[in-house]
Amino acid sequence: MAIAREAEPVGSLTEIQELGLDREDLLDIYRHLLVTRGIEERGHILYKQGKIPGSFYTGRGNEAAAVGIAMAMGPDDVGTPLHRDMGVHVVRGVEPWRIFAQFLGLIAMVSHLPAMVPVAVGCALAFRIREERRVAIGWFGEGASARGDTHEAMNLAGVRRLPVVFICDNNQWAYSTPTHLEYACEHIADRGKVYGFEGVVADGTDLLAVFREAKRAVEKAREGEGPTLIECLTLRMEGHAVHDDAFYVPKEMFEEWAKRDPLERFRSWLRENADFTDEQESEIRGDVKKLLNDAIKRAEESPLPDPSTLLEGVFATPEDLETPHHK
Amino acid sequence: MPEKTYLQAISDGLRQEMRRDKRVFVIGEDVGVYGGAFKVTQGFQEEFGPWRVIDAPLAETAIVGGCTGAAIMGMRPVAEMQFADFVSCAWDHLVTVAAKQRYRAGTPVPIVVRCPSGGGFSGGPFHSQNPESSFAHIPGLKVVCPATPEDAKGLLVTAIEDPNPVLYFEHKHLYRRIKADVPDERYTTPFGEARIHREGEDVTVVTWGAMVYTAAEAADKVAEEDGVSAEIVDLRTIIPWDKKAVLASVEKTSKVVVLHEDTQTGGFGAEIVATIAEEAFEQLDAPVKRIAAPDTPVPFSPPLEKAFLPQVEDVVAGIRELVSY
Amino acid sequence: MATGTLVDVVMPQMGVSVSEGTITKWVKSEGDPVEADETLLEISTDKVDTEVPSPASGVLQQILVPEGETVAVGTKLAVIAPEGVEAAAPAEAPPQEAPPAEAVSEPATGEAAAEQAPAPTPAAAEAQAGPADGEAEGARFVSPVVARIAAEHGVDVSQVPGTGRAGRVTKKDILGFIESGALAPTPTIAPPPAAPAAVPARPERVSPAPEPPQAAQEGESVEPMSAMRRGIAEHMRRSLDTSAHVTSSIEVDMSKVAAIRRKLKTEYQESYGVNPTYLAFVARAAVDTLRDYPWVNGELRGDSIVTRNYVNIGFAVELADGKGLIVPVVKNAETLSLLGMAKAIADLAARAREKKLLPEDVQGGTFTITNPGGYGTFHGTPVISQPQAAILGTYAVVKRPWVVQDEMSEDVIAIRMIMNLTLTYDHRLVDGALAGRFLRDLRERLQTWGESDF
Repeated sequence: MAIAREAEPVGSLTEIQELGLDREDLLDIYRHLLVTRGIEERGHILYKQGKIPGSFYTGRGNEAAAVGIAMAMGPDDVGTPLHRDMGVHVVRGVEPWRIFAQFLGLIAMVSHLPAMVPVAVGCALAFRIREERRVAIGWFGEGASARGDTHEAMNLAGVRRLPVVFICDNNQWAYSTPTHLEYACEHIADRGKVYGFEGVVADGTDLLAVFREAKRAVEKAREGEGPTLIECLTLRMEGHAVHDDAFYVPKEMFEEWAKRDPLERFRSWLRENADFTDEQESEIRGDVKKLLNDAIKRAEESPLPDPSTLLEGVFATPEDLETPHHK
Repeated sequence: MPEKTYLQAISDGLRQEMRRDKRVFVIGEDVGVYGGAFKVTQGFQEEFGPWRVIDAPLAETAIVGGCTGAAIMGMRPVAEMQFADFVSCAWDHLVTVAAKQRYRAGTPVPIVVRCPSGGGFSGGPFHSQNPESSFAHIPGLKVVCPATPEDAKGLLVTAIEDPNPVLYFEHKHLYRRIKADVPDERYTTPFGEARIHREGEDVTVVTWGAMVYTAAEAADKVAEEDGVSAEIVDLRTIIPWDKKAVLASVEKTSKVVVLHEDTQTGGFGAEIVATIAEEAFEQLDAPVKRIAAPDTPVPFSPPLEKAFLPQVEDVVAGIRELVSY
Repeated sequence: MATGTLVDVVMPQMGVSVSEGTITKWVKSEGDPVEADETLLEISTDKVDTEVPSPASGVLQQILVPEGETVAVGTKLAVIAPEGVEAAAPAEAPPQEAPPAEAVSEPATGEAAAEQAPAPTPAAAEAQAGPADGEAEGARFVSPVVARIAAEHGVDVSQVPGTGRAGRVTKKDILGFIESGALAPTPTIAPPPAAPAAVPARPERVSPAPEPPQAAQEGESVEPMSAMRRGIAEHMRRSLDTSAHVTSSIEVDMSKVAAIRRKLKTEYQESYGVNPTYLAFVARAAVDTLRDYPWVNGELRGDSIVTRNYVNIGFAVELADGKGLIVPVVKNAETLSLLGMAKAIADLAARAREKKLLPEDVQGGTFTITNPGGYGTFHGTPVISQPQAAILGTYAVVKRPWVVQDEMSEDVIAIRMIMNLTLTYDHRLVDGALAGRFLRDLRERLQTWGESDF
């Protein structure tokens, strides 16, 4: 029996405008979705061309959840997104060329790491100690939900009612492991209750539903009312990484979820509720295409790191503390 | 200058920094109302309140991971592991997150993790360890092992100032046993600068932490009974460690004992010995000797623990062996 | 030294100051049967070239160091499988017992090692073991810091009394040795080094790091220096850096000596098988003269001047292959007659050429005679053998027109057998006038040699 509350779909433009998004914001969201998917599709091509070293991971199917949550964050809020959450980086202003450059091994940059939930809690702890009206978002996959640090982090956040929102990207597969081998409760979000805060399950392919729940949770945290756990249910529409053809995922499951493609769902909603025209759509698509073309070009023109810089950055220097956070 | 115990020196240093810098906060198990398992933070919560002296759940990962997040947000967290042994629960967050955050993302993580370490009081295998070498192996972490009250305070202040994650190993056996003058004013003790605990000519003993006193007793004994003058180099910090001071002493005496309380295999002594072999081979007049605990868990039973921990007699024998070589 | 039942052949220490040796030839090959004491190989050191006898009877199981290689004294050269012993992998040597405490204060010397009875193993009990044993092994270990200091100061480590385990030379030992000024290339037999009080340290020489061997240029060929060559090179350089070399010459009319020599020749050859060489006469006369000039037979040891009531004369002998020089010593030459001197010189020269010299044959000289005159040279400035004070050079005896006085005390020109002598002396100890008087008296002895002198 489910304990978590289930998120409702958003019906009309008016509803979403009440949450603070105007029509321009919605077009921006569509642009972010296209950029997010575009980066990963182009990256996939670069990988197959042998230009990207290592492996390559995408978040196809998770774009709406990522963009929807990020849109709910305030400018001073912070978060620890996963590698499936490219949309968060896009919304938060990371330039696409830098992402390509990192893929190509040209510059060292933020890489993903799925053990950041306690770090997000620590950020929230800092806000709480300093009594700042800021919120931290901690992402984790349903796979990492089995880890102790996720538990420890949510427990501490619950105990201290910290301004943090936990986002579980539940794409139903931890590499090849299905959810029934990962957890025994019905929803990950059910666990919110046992840590003393609310849990919500949202359809992760419904951007606006995700956004609305995230907006509520962020504002609740900002008001000192403690954490929320939001579980965004999606399907990982590709393999764990490009080397994985996901043969273990039932074909029917892919077919079912393909009908709920988050980009298509949002586009349809715009068409039905926000007078989204062909001209507007082709203009946005053209912009995004140019943005990505330019980004790849710039990334490919960037120099490879000099091996002499190998030891740089192992230890921080006092100058590294010259950031806004440490003032 | 007032005389203070090693424990008081740590406590005073921490309190001083918390008074001086609002960014400094303490988090750990029982650090608040109880004042810490060893009373290092006794009275802190009354003075600084529950949001700067935070009683955490039994969750080392959340403590260290939380400190990491808070540090990235500009705080100067000081975490207390109730026993150094428990830091293994936070290994992932120290090693995977805190140690690599600057490298992978450019953001410094100025945290201090205080680890009450060491044996000598029948604490058994889970309350007596000296796990410094494990962390010394991890690029991005700094490791501190003060031996004297003065250094305990100065190194703690430096650790809090340092923009990196610092593991601060405070030896439980020294807490109330060692008393010495400690300046009242604020001061820092630099990392990577060894302290010559005792000057000598005939043999060098490189050590740190509580073993400094074991070495000192042994040095007294060989001075009196054999007329041998032993030099004791107290490293004070393991990462970074003062290679220069060690090599200078090796050049002087040409005979070296490396002494530590941690178990021998893969102990930090091995790194020192290897460095001496690489960089001071032509200074050596005898094999370099390691004196360390044998490769077992720390025993609980007193006679076994005594046999486990390097004793004054072991160091005396080691010095004599080298002197007669 | 044996490992298990196998017997090791090690590089022997051919003299206290010898630290390494070169394998010149393996007389036996792997698999050859060998008898105890049978020659296994030939080696060359900076002091002597010699044959190394097998320490046991059996089969030469394995040669570990090939010809041409230079290795430290004590290095295992080969393994002998004694008769009846299956060839097997050598086991680890058991840890060596430390010598008794009183032995530790003794200088660790090669002779001491050589004189000690070899430690026989059950399998090789009847076999004569080589000169190395476990204690000598310990005594010869040179730690890295001692090796470095020795190289920087040009010290032969084996000369330094060791106080470490099994007589090992410690860093303190070698530093004390250098400070005491005892730095010397060859040991003195007596007096014991009890007296060397505080002495100013000799000027430190910082040896530049040896250049890496240069590849041969066109038309050149490059060969490694032998241990002996290196020893000579080091000693010559050090001697010039140590002593204030000055050479004085004198012409000696050897006509009388020549006449007596002619007379004695047949008798000496028939009765004793030796030649009464000019060298023997000169040496004999020099010994007598040295007794009047003890400083020329002396030594500067730090701030002290050492003189002796004996004369040990070293004779420079060229090796048969022309690629080296060795200086065997006639001990207590003051006790030798002309015949004795001639015999002693002949014996040493023969043994030197046959590589049969013992370590003690090349030690303890107090004065040296070098004789390049055999090739017709009439003058030279030889280098003093440290730590001696002088070296006498003898040159070709040639017929020269010579102004003499006839019975009427009139000057006439006669044909005389003339030989030049040079005395190269350390001006720190020996002044020019003293050297002049020494040469004058030596000349006088030779020119007035009587038939009854012997």
